Amino acid sequence: MRREDKITAEMQEKLKEKIIAIEVPRERRIFAYIKTEALKESIKFLKDIGFKHLSTITGVDVEDGIELIYHLALDGSIELSLRLKVQKDDPRVPTITDIIPGAVLYEREVHEMFGVNFEGHPDLSPLILPEEWPRNIYPLRKKHTLEHLKNLIFKKEDGE
Amino acid sequence: MAIIVEAIKHLFKRPVTLRYPFEKEAPPKGFRGRPIWDMHRCVGCGLCSRICPSGAIEMIGRGHEASIKHYVDRCLFCGQCSESCPRNAIRLMNDFEHASYSRDSMIYEYKRES
Amino acid sequence: MSYGSMIKVPFGPQHPALKEPEHFLFEIDGDIIVNVKPRIGYNHRGIEKAFERRTYIQNIYLAERICGICSDAHTTCYTQAIEELLDVEVPPRARYIRVIVAELERIHSHSLWLGIAAHEIGFDTLFMHLWRDREAVMDVLELVSGNRVHYAMNTIGGVRREIASEIIPKIIGSLDFLEKRTKYYMKVLRSEQTVLKRTVDIGVLKPEDAVELCAVGPTLRASGVKNDVRRDDPYAAYDEIPFNIVTDDGCDVFSRILVRCGEILESINMIRYALDHMPSGMLRVRVPMAVKPGEAVSRVEAPRGELIHYVKSNGSTRPERYKVRSPTLANIPALCKMLIGQHVADIPIILAGIDPCFACMDRLVFVDVKTNKKKALDFESFRKIVRKQRELL
Repeated sequence: MRREDKITAEMQEKLKEKIIAIEVPRERRIFAYIKTEALKESIKFLKDIGFKHLSTITGVDVEDGIELIYHLALDGSIELSLRLKVQKDDPRVPTITDIIPGAVLYEREVHEMFGVNFEGHPDLSPLILPEEWPRNIYPLRKKHTLEHLKNLIFKKEDGE
Repeated sequence: MAIIVEAIKHLFKRPVTLRYPFEKEAPPKGFRGRPIWDMHRCVGCGLCSRICPSGAIEMIGRGHEASIKHYVDRCLFCGQCSESCPRNAIRLMNDFEHASYSRDSMIYEYKRES
Repeated sequence: MSYGSMIKVPFGPQHPALKEPEHFLFEIDGDIIVNVKPRIGYNHRGIEKAFERRTYIQNIYLAERICGICSDAHTTCYTQAIEELLDVEVPPRARYIRVIVAELERIHSHSLWLGIAAHEIGFDTLFMHLWRDREAVMDVLELVSGNRVHYAMNTIGGVRREIASEIIPKIIGSLDFLEKRTKYYMKVLRSEQTVLKRTVDIGVLKPEDAVELCAVGPTLRASGVKNDVRRDDPYAAYDEIPFNIVTDDGCDVFSRILVRCGEILESINMIRYALDHMPSGMLRVRVPMAVKPGEAVSRVEAPRGELIHYVKSNGSTRPERYKVRSPTLANIPALCKMLIGQHVADIPIILAGIDPCFACMDRLVFVDVKTNKKKALDFESFRKIVRKQRELL
C-alpha cells in the first residue's frame, strides 16, 4: 500500500462524512476537499499524523465562493492540499495559528487579498497593501480586473 | 588572520576589474542581446509580436507589406521571438549597451526595401 | 537587565543594512529587542494578478522576473506545474540540464549571500574577495545560458539551450577554481575572530521552533533539521544524482554560514556528476498552447529554501489562478523569533542570516516605491506625474 493511500484511508476513517472528496493525482500529492466547519479538527488531526509544515495558504476566487487551500507537507515529501469553501459576502473561518504558529503571515496575506476573516487571529493589520488602500477592495478577487483597480485608484487620486 | 596574507598578496597583483568605458569584455558566444530582423525572410505572420512577454514588438501592416517596430526599452532579451519565428528571420546580436537619454531613440524600425 | 521603558525603533523601508526596502518595527528595552513587527509589501508588483492576463509562454518570463537571484528556481517551478497539468514527460537530457543550471544558481546565490553576510558584520575584505570569485560562476552561467541574471533556460516541456561539449571543460575548470576557493574561505571563516565574535550564538533558532514556525531551506537545516525538497520530493533529475544534505547543529548565524558553504561544495560535486552522466537525446517536447482544466502544486528547492507554486487552469491559454510562495516569506516568522532577545547591533546580520529576498516575497498588488502611494505604475500615468512635476518647476 502506498503511503498516500494509507493517509487518505486514515483521513476517511477519522473525518468520515466531513470529507467531500479526496484524491491522489500523482505520487506525493493529495487533494482533499472538506466541509468548512471541519477545518480545525482536520488540521489538528493532520498535525498529529506528521503534517507539521504548512507550506502556504492559497485563496482562489471561484464562482460561488472563495476556496481556501492549505498546503501541508509531511516530512517535506507528501504535499496535502486541504481545500474548503467559504461564502463570498461574509467569508469567515477560524484561525489555525494556535495549532500551526507558522500560518500567521499566510492568513494575513489571504485576509488582505481576498477579505477572508480569520477569527481569533492575533493581528490582522495590513501586511502587504499600503496603509491608505481603500477598505473592502480585495485585489485578487475576480471582480476587480486590472482596469477596475486602475480606475478606482486614479479616480481617488485626481480628486485630491 | 588568514585573510591578511591573502590581502597583502593582492597588493602586488593586477586589478581584477576592467576600466569599463575604455576596456570592454566581449560577451561569450550565444549571448542574448538585442534581436534584429532580417526583412528578406520575414513573412509578416506577427507571431513575434503576439508572443513577446513584454509587448516590445509592434507589427505595422500585414503579410508581405508589414514592417516591424522594436522597442528596446521594453525588451527583456529573453529571445522567445527568435525561437518562435517560423522563418528564422530574427537573430540575437551581441551588443549590450542600450542605455539612452530618450525613449524615442530606443525604437528600432525594420522596413522592407521596395 | 530591564530599563523599564519601551522604545519603538523603526527599521527600514530604506535602511543601509538592507539592499531592498522592507520595514520592521522593533520594540526595544535598553539594547535588547523585545518585539518585532514586520511590514512587507514595498516591492509588490502585482505579479499574481498579471499571471492571469498572460499566456502560458509569456508567463515563463514573468515567473523568471519574480526574483533576480533565484530566477531559475521560479521558472523550474512554473514549468513543472504546467507540465504536470499537460501530462508531458520532460526528456532526460533536459532534466539534467535543469539540475546543472539550478546548482550553478545555488552556488552563485550562496556566494552572493556569504559576501553580504561578511559585509553586514563589517568584514569588507572578505566581501570583496568572495564577490570577485563569484564572477567565475557568473561567467559560467553567462556562457551556458547567454545572460548573467535571467537564464531563460526552462521552457514548458524541456529546456531551450544545449550545453555544448566544447564548453564543458570550461565549466569544469571554473568548478575546480570555486572548490579550491570555497575550501579556503571555509578555513578563513572558521578561524577569523571577526567572524566568530559576530556570528556564534547570535540569532539562535531552536529546531523545535524552526519546525513549529515552518522555516525552510538553509535556515531550517542550520537548526539541525534534515529537510530538502530535492531529496524529499525529487524533481528534475535529483532522484538520479547522489548528494548529501548539509546540516549543522549550531542553530546560530555561524551555522547558517557553514551550511551554505557546505552546500556550495555539494553543488559543485553534483554538477560534476551531472555533466559526466548527462544522457544524450532531445531537449524539449512540443506542447499545446491551451492547457486543460486542472490544478497542480509544484515544489522546488530554491537556494533559500522550499518554493511552492500552485496553478489552476481553466482550459484556455491563460491560467485561472497562480500562486507563488517564496522561501523568504516562510522564514519571516522564524526570523522574528530569532531577533527577540538580541542586541540592536546584531539586527543586520540576523536579518541577513535568512538570506532574505524581498523581491520574491512581495508579489501582488501595485506599489509606487518612490512616494509609497498606491498606484499602478503604468507608463501613461507615470508620464503624467513627471509632466506635472515639470510644470511645477
